[in-house]
Amino acid sequence: MMKKIIATLMAFTMLAAVPCAAASDAETASGAEAASGEDFVFKHGFDLDYPPYSYRDEKGDIGGFDVEMAQAVCEYYGWKYEPVPFNWDAKDAELNAGSCDCIWSGFTMNGREDDYLWSKPYSDNTQMIMVKKDSGIEKLDDLAGKIVGVQTSTSAYDLLNDEEGQAALAQTFGSLEVYETYTIAFNDLKAGAIDAIAIDVTSGNFLMSGETDYAFLDEALGSEQYAIGFRKDDTELCDKINAALDALAKDGTFDKIGKKYPEIYDYLTLNK
Amino acid sequence: MTLITMLTTMSEGMLRTIGIFVLTLVGSLPLGMIVALLRKSRFSVIRLLIRVYISVIRGTPLMLQLLVWYFGPYYLFGWSIRGWRFPALILGFIVNYAAYFAEIYRGGIESIPAGQYEAAEVLGYSKGQTFMRIILPQVIKRIMPSVTNEVITLVKDTSLAFTLAYQEVFSLAKQISASQTSFMPFLIAGIFYFVANYVVAFIMERIEKALDYYK
Repeated sequence: MMKKIIATLMAFTMLAAVPCAAASDAETASGAEAASGEDFVFKHGFDLDYPPYSYRDEKGDIGGFDVEMAQAVCEYYGWKYEPVPFNWDAKDAELNAGSCDCIWSGFTMNGREDDYLWSKPYSDNTQMIMVKKDSGIEKLDDLAGKIVGVQTSTSAYDLLNDEEGQAALAQTFGSLEVYETYTIAFNDLKAGAIDAIAIDVTSGNFLMSGETDYAFLDEALGSEQYAIGFRKDDTELCDKINAALDALAKDGTFDKIGKKYPEIYDYLTLNK
Repeated sequence: MTLITMLTTMSEGMLRTIGIFVLTLVGSLPLGMIVALLRKSRFSVIRLLIRVYISVIRGTPLMLQLLVWYFGPYYLFGWSIRGWRFPALILGFIVNYAAYFAEIYRGGIESIPAGQYEAAEVLGYSKGQTFMRIILPQVIKRIMPSVTNEVITLVKDTSLAFTLAYQEVFSLAKQISASQTSFMPFLIAGIFYFVANYVVAFIMERIEKALDYYK
């Protein structure tokens, strides 16, 4: 029975893949070999749910600091820019399958050092705890027995589940609620359904902009850096992006783009 | 972001949602009939294959199937999947919905009493004529309510396209909600889906009435 199921699945997949294979025989999954050419298409993989690094801007278009930087890099080399928005949970499959050339979307490198080939870090980011100002929670120890929210597949989530990270602290929580997005978690915080949110400082600042009743605890949960993740064998592309980042930091483009995003400007590192 | 921008952006997403919806129906309604007929095939191998297909498709989440359709060609054969996102999405939906439609059709076909086949044979109808002129018209009338159910479910299931980051209305609602820290986009998406389904229900009701020619 199992064999038949597999055979059927394979048959369907084969049937389905024929037109695509025909269309893309000339393409290879790896961007490395073509990265030197002028007509190279740089496929920028990112999540559109991650403001202000990559998101829908005020006009409803694809934008954000990472998107603008990636476009600037393409302009620098004369590459063609192709945005590849993906579902964050499927980012590794997207990268490995070659539908994008990198993950460049406020991507934390700490704890994932061995999983990707990393560019140089370009932004600092700290994991914080956000609470209502009048909640009486002032330090991490006060979270004992409280309900804490976090977004799934984020570095804050990883940190709270990592034995070498803050898993011990997470054990003291009343419960850890895992959300699809921080927007929903924040609404739960507002509504009093949870007591605190574990979140990186830039996303947190973004949520709190225009709000006065919320604050971070002084004590940080952990610190991290954002960088660009490449396939491990894609050294040529990684080197090129690093060189471009250096050049764009030098000529002030990095700083100029950063200034458009005041929520994260203080945490950007290449312009310092 | 102004409400107007939000509505315009999400309307573009709604058009893509409708695109998935229409293409899925165009593909799966006929494919379901083929599957239903194959399930009654004389050859036991074909019958078995169809049963396996239906049980795999109904037994696994559509979200998972979409991932398999999209990433499968790469992980199984190492093929490039550039430009494959939308075709994979539509194939995933068609193959999934065809399985459900096939079972609805089967229920309809099996509800026709054997006496009608015998009568048709006596009257000199061929097998094909019997099916097309006598059985099928009655089947369609009987299965309409179940088909309407599936079609309405399909409108809402299109939101699963977010798994492959296809920018339909629900993906956009999530993104705009994140960038505007507001629930408004979800409310708008809800209204869009409701209106779409209201139209679907209305059309299906009209079709049902038109088919009700013996009353």
